[in-house]
Amino acid sequence: MHSLRLPSPPERAGRAAVAEPFEPVDLRLPARPAELKRARDCVAAAAADFGFARKAAYELVFAVNEAVTNAIKHGSPDRDGTIGLTIGAEGDSLVCSVQDAGPFIPPTEKPEPVSAESGRGFAFMSALTDEFELLVKPAATVVRLRKLRPALVPSA
Amino acid sequence: MGNFQVSDDLLDGDVRVLRVAGEVDFDVAPQFKRRISSLIEAGDRQLVIDLSAVEFIDSTAIGVLVGAIKRLRAVGGSLAVVCDNDDVHAIFEAVGLENVIPLHGSHQDAFAALAVTA
Repeated sequence: MHSLRLPSPPERAGRAAVAEPFEPVDLRLPARPAELKRARDCVAAAAADFGFARKAAYELVFAVNEAVTNAIKHGSPDRDGTIGLTIGAEGDSLVCSVQDAGPFIPPTEKPEPVSAESGRGFAFMSALTDEFELLVKPAATVVRLRKLRPALVPSA
Repeated sequence: MGNFQVSDDLLDGDVRVLRVAGEVDFDVAPQFKRRISSLIEAGDRQLVIDLSAVEFIDSTAIGVLVGAIKRLRAVGGSLAVVCDNDDVHAIFEAVGLENVIPLHGSHQDAFAALAVTA
């Protein structure tokens, strides 16, 4: 069992609810490539819950998959061999954070955009979300990805 | 593991078509890379990679495609990618990849691209 569902946050006063209150997700994933599918499924389910259209959901899943891949590939797992994935609502945005217990290792070489075989992860994360933040802490690296829920078509 | 599958056929004119299905991520990218490498090592020079049945492809797998294009070019070969999945198109366009790896809408277009770049 790696998932833990937290109780839903209190409803914010004065905010018109467009969907059921979003239940934040706090997941510990074994730092293994085989777990990527589970991470994607989890983000896809959260994006659907939050009312994302298919395309926006796909973009968020793609971006988070890149962050989790980086954490597995370059990061250090926690003492229990896991990395963290949290998904929460902030206003009209969904915020996904991927955390590993290692120091941030900057990419050693600048990729040539045209012919590079790797090093595109950050470019994808930045292009496919509304905010991409890298938080470097002494014993943790956190990638925070925020994506705005596209506005619903206003009823006439 | 996201139901990744790959199969291939040799067509007339020594064109190898590699059909990929499912989800191609960091978990299966090494497998994907080995499959392409073994075809090139066995002498294939004209490769069409058909991603029509792919649901998801990550940057690692895209890197495998870029590597294969470079490797084939170095030995006088060429590679063309078929993909009519709008999601994948949008992902490529988000970072300007459509110029590095053109995505062809049909096998016919991909064969034409091979003939031009060969």
